[in-house]
Amino acid sequence: MKRFLATMWMVLILSSAAEGQTIYVCENGSVDFISDAPLEMIQASSDKLVGALNIEDRSFSFRIPTKSFEGFNSSLQKTHFNQDYMESDRYPNSTFKGKIIEEIDLTQPGNYSIRAKGTMTIHGVGIDRIIRCNLNTGSNRIEVKSDFTIFLEDQNITIPSIVNKKIAEEIYVGIDLILVPK
Amino acid sequence: MKRLFYSFVILGLGLPGLVLAQDLDQLLDDLEENNPDPRYVMGTFEGTTIINGQSVELPGAGDLNFRISHRFGAVNLGIYEFFGLDQASTRFAFEYGIKDIASLSIGRSTYEKTYDGAVKIRLLRQQTGIKNIPVTVTVFSEAYVKSIRWDYPERDNLFTSRLSYATQVLVARKFGEIFSLQLSPTYVHKNLVPKPQDQNNIFAMGAGGRLRLTPRFAVNAEYFYLLPGQTAEDYINSLSVGIDIETGGHIFQLQFTNSRAMFARGFVTETTGEWLDGDIFFGFNLYRVFPLGEKRRNLRW
Repeated sequence: MKRFLATMWMVLILSSAAEGQTIYVCENGSVDFISDAPLEMIQASSDKLVGALNIEDRSFSFRIPTKSFEGFNSSLQKTHFNQDYMESDRYPNSTFKGKIIEEIDLTQPGNYSIRAKGTMTIHGVGIDRIIRCNLNTGSNRIEVKSDFTIFLEDQNITIPSIVNKKIAEEIYVGIDLILVPK
Repeated sequence: MKRLFYSFVILGLGLPGLVLAQDLDQLLDDLEENNPDPRYVMGTFEGTTIINGQSVELPGAGDLNFRISHRFGAVNLGIYEFFGLDQASTRFAFEYGIKDIASLSIGRSTYEKTYDGAVKIRLLRQQTGIKNIPVTVTVFSEAYVKSIRWDYPERDNLFTSRLSYATQVLVARKFGEIFSLQLSPTYVHKNLVPKPQDQNNIFAMGAGGRLRLTPRFAVNAEYFYLLPGQTAEDYINSLSVGIDIETGGHIFQLQFTNSRAMFARGFVTETTGEWLDGDIFFGFNLYRVFPLGEKRRNLRW
């Protein structure tokens, strides 16, 4: 009996240790965006994207603090981005949470084109979206690349008419990150 | 014993499941905590001035601000002078951000045909996150050259007599999204004063505030209290009220003030208008931010 109990404990410990490998995390992924309007192009980027992916059930959660974006054409513009448009004191983060649609085994090295389905929340407005991503899995790492667009109107971000030729209605977003086992 | 066996089987199967269901969001919180970021407070004031006086804000690194300030004549001049609008006094200035924490400016005012040059340096920035700093502190130091012709050109007039200086330590805090408050202790030095009893060194305490009523509209007020002395007896404390209108790249500030000068020495120590007599001036500051260098190419105008 004692041997049996010890075996059970071993199974327990081993299984939970193996479980640790199913969670992959990213601490400094990069996000950049471009607003390409007739009169002005605005670019900004951040490398403060954090995220976690469970390769077992393929669920994920990503988050980026709005205030971490740098770039812009002037510091005043950065202030306005945070203060007037994104309202980053009220909505400090943009998030994307959901699940990978394709039932793939991410432990197998290779290139995968997948669809990530979930809720993308920007400026406090959550929208269900499906985002195409390219995954490159290697030994103990998953590289994720993606690009998509965001419509400011959908996120309830209004552009005053006086600057509507300087801020695009559609914003291009690029994502580049590497997940490693936790 | 059988029960114990089953409970182990259940545990053995169930525990990994629990780990699986571990909240990914909790994990993100932990990741962020491992790697904290300073969270700076932005936009304590809209412009680099509250009204007449400097705010704690600086132009960003590599940004050039072109500023036009304008004060009309006294409102109590009546309909003949169209309530002061027939008269005008201006100041043109360039402000350039060398670094995020330091900027230079030059200006030229109608008032006594004065040229001014200044340095502004931010010492502390209000922030949370890694450090908790409750206020932003900026030092502003300006020198003035009065270029108006001497009253008595036949005298032996020295160039140094045209010079004067002002230094301010600006301490501000943004309380939430709506309200910002600043204290502006000010020291003014004048190389030459007209009368023997006049002070060469003058101290004043300034205070200014902003109520940001909408993202693009704010109400400001500003007051400079002269510490007791000859200047405080001869002149009046500067009081201004105004609004900010922000239109993306442009900032308009409209104001009523009892000071004619638009630089610190002038409005702190040489204000003569009495609010109650209507001896006040309507005016505006308008400025435009010009990004320089690489960022200039992003602008298609």
